[in-house]
Amino acid sequence: MNIAYENDYDCVIIGGGLAGLTCGLKCLAEGLSCAVISSGMSALHFSSGSIDLLGHHPGREVVFSPIEALPDFTKANPEHPYTKCGLDDVVEAMDFFQRETDTQGFRLHSNSRDNHFHVTAVGTLKPTFFSPASVFTREIKTVFEKKPCIAILNIKGFRDFHPVLAAANLNRHKLFSHCPVTCAEIELPGQKTAAYGTADMRSVDVARILDAAADLQDVARAIAVAAGKSDIIALPAFLGLNRYPEIVDELRRATDRLIYEIPTLPPSILGMRLDNALKSRFTAQGGIFIASETIESGIVENDRVVSVHTQNQEDDIRAACYVLASGSFFSKGLASRYGRMTEPVFDCRLDIPPDCTALSAETFFSPKSHDFLRAGVKTDGNLSPETASGRTVTNLYCAGAVLSGYNPVSEGSGGGVAITTGYKAAKQIAAHVRDKTHPEDRDGS
Amino acid sequence: MINLDNTSFDCCIKCTICTAYCPVARATDLYPGPKYSGPDAERMRIKSPFLIDQSLSYCNNCKRCETVCPSGVRITDFIYRARNIRLKKKHRLRDFFLTRTDITGRLAATFSLMVNPLIKLKVTKFLLSLFMGISDKASMPEFDRGTFTAGNTTRHQEQQAFPRKVVYFHGCYVNYYDHALGKSVIAVLNAMGIGVLTPPQKCCGVPLIAAGNFTQVRKNAAFNITSLRRAVSDDSDMKIVFSSSSCVLTVKQDYPHLLSMDTGAIDDRLEFITKFLHREIKNNNLPPMQPVNLTAAYHSPCHLDRTGGMIHTIAVLKAIPGLNLVVLHSECCGIAGTYGFKKEFHDIGQQIGQHLFDQINQVNPDIVITDCETCKWQIEANTRYPVKHPVSVLAEAMNNE
Repeated sequence: MNIAYENDYDCVIIGGGLAGLTCGLKCLAEGLSCAVISSGMSALHFSSGSIDLLGHHPGREVVFSPIEALPDFTKANPEHPYTKCGLDDVVEAMDFFQRETDTQGFRLHSNSRDNHFHVTAVGTLKPTFFSPASVFTREIKTVFEKKPCIAILNIKGFRDFHPVLAAANLNRHKLFSHCPVTCAEIELPGQKTAAYGTADMRSVDVARILDAAADLQDVARAIAVAAGKSDIIALPAFLGLNRYPEIVDELRRATDRLIYEIPTLPPSILGMRLDNALKSRFTAQGGIFIASETIESGIVENDRVVSVHTQNQEDDIRAACYVLASGSFFSKGLASRYGRMTEPVFDCRLDIPPDCTALSAETFFSPKSHDFLRAGVKTDGNLSPETASGRTVTNLYCAGAVLSGYNPVSEGSGGGVAITTGYKAAKQIAAHVRDKTHPEDRDGS
Repeated sequence: MINLDNTSFDCCIKCTICTAYCPVARATDLYPGPKYSGPDAERMRIKSPFLIDQSLSYCNNCKRCETVCPSGVRITDFIYRARNIRLKKKHRLRDFFLTRTDITGRLAATFSLMVNPLIKLKVTKFLLSLFMGISDKASMPEFDRGTFTAGNTTRHQEQQAFPRKVVYFHGCYVNYYDHALGKSVIAVLNAMGIGVLTPPQKCCGVPLIAAGNFTQVRKNAAFNITSLRRAVSDDSDMKIVFSSSSCVLTVKQDYPHLLSMDTGAIDDRLEFITKFLHREIKNNNLPPMQPVNLTAAYHSPCHLDRTGGMIHTIAVLKAIPGLNLVVLHSECCGIAGTYGFKKEFHDIGQQIGQHLFDQINQVNPDIVITDCETCKWQIEANTRYPVKHPVSVLAEAMNNE
């Protein structure tokens, strides 16, 4: 329902990634009308599909329970987005997100309220909060104490995954050092007849072959043979794009082993499934998702955004509230030139840590991560930004990677911040819109 | 000389999202996908134009690669320019038949009483397939009787009487296949107090571009630009509306970008019909309507998706009382203009469309709504649901009164 009629929507969200879509879902749940404007596919296509909440303490120490660690963490980081959202809303947002994806058939698992580890494409372990059901289930505990044998499999000729590399790294970790890890290859049904062969396949191609397969018995048999006596089987994440829950279940059942997926190179199947689930849920509930449009600029008058201008349609869209969820440098939510960083839509004031103007660092995988990641839009406690002239914009909220005050990589907090701030922004918008349309202000409608 | 008009391949970060969502690459491994055919190979082609291969012909110009690209690379422009300059043209007769719609369409519409039953005959289909390479499995759309433009002179006077007017680019589809849609456009706009002018116009050229006949399309473009400019010249507010989502994209984007034509004089006037209607609705200018009581599945055509235009169509459809709207997950229907009619691509087209047909069957709506005429043909041929243009649904809601 569009409560404020002079507007096109109650809320327009700039950016169709994790933050934008979470915000959109919460807006719809609050009964607001909402459009998400996306400029091509989002960074979810480059993600593992797991959602981090807080993975590492500042000293690189692994966080085991983010919920327990957050009170101290937020006290020490007053400008952190988590601090601005408040602990209750962080928990509420994560629960909301899990429920929404679950309803859409994309099941996220967590290790109660604690972190778990997911295996990366190169076989390292990464602490995370939610993982898709095909990547982590608590069942793994039932075999883990018994020194399980692990088989890492690949499809013959598939170049985007290297089981031997993954196995070697996995064995170096103390959790897996006692586990025998073997590697093997399987053949895909019909592989020999394919014109180009698997060497040119991406995980998407394999996923679609499996989606279309009428019968997975051959695949299951090949997996069981290749895996020998292993208790746990790992495959690169390509077990279907649409039918993935059934494919994974069926293979688990047919082989009677624990089968897990390992995220691979972009475009990431796990990220695409999540992207698809969020968009489907958003559209099914009446949200308007625009896949290919760019918001060029916004007009701010009297500390409020009046309208935003679209590049393709050359049109002005008006809403009661706006959300800037346009991402970081990679997604072009932030732009960088020599000696200058900007936010291109509203020219919001940025918070740029002094060290982050350094153009390079000694090591790429520095334990400190890179300081430019902390740069972003400066916001107040409500996630509202300031214009270049230093005045707070009251009906604009920022969410996700466009924000300053956190380092998604070194903290392991990217997904959590996107979800939490998107959710928080929507909650405030709901209050804002209700405020504006208080009964005495409303005409007959 | 090295052509550096479009260097957007430099923005490509090789993420392969385009290929992941390319409906053709999904259907056949004979097409290496937009990343390879577009920005990857273009780097080589600008220096060594002979580096070109037949796989380029598989691209169906749906532009989904550009819709999903996070880096703003104009992928299809690379593919089409390379194709046009270097690929040998094979099906000259078919290209004439499918692309010179102004000649073939006019002829067929004039003799539609004869042509319509004729093209349904097995023997005709066989001959078309044998001599022209038009798939005998494709169902051919029926021509309307005569042309839409034939009624122009009688319409002109009454339309001129309206104080506010728009120029209407009806395109070949309305002209030769579906006069009712053109009449609906006029009825809806008239009910909103707006007169509709239809100046002389030629095919926008989208099928010519697909066939690589850039000489003819430039001729059509020059004619259309002049005619439209003249029609709006004495009213600075007058818009030019299109009921075909592909025509508007061609005039607005392909004329200046692909063909380097100057559209400056009309560029800010060009609008897809739902964009125009949406603005009118926002200004409280709505035609009187009665509830339609229908469940409709909305399919957004590829070319409308590419430009974010569905935002207006959905808004317009939501203004129709009693319309229960289900927005489908956006997928190519497989016809892609003339692609699905071609013998060598028909099966690929059907395979592409199957995902959309499955979705529609699952929704099981009363009607399917789409903005594009060829999507309409394809969906009608492959599902059991009637397919309507958004403006036709609006017109029906008005007639319900």
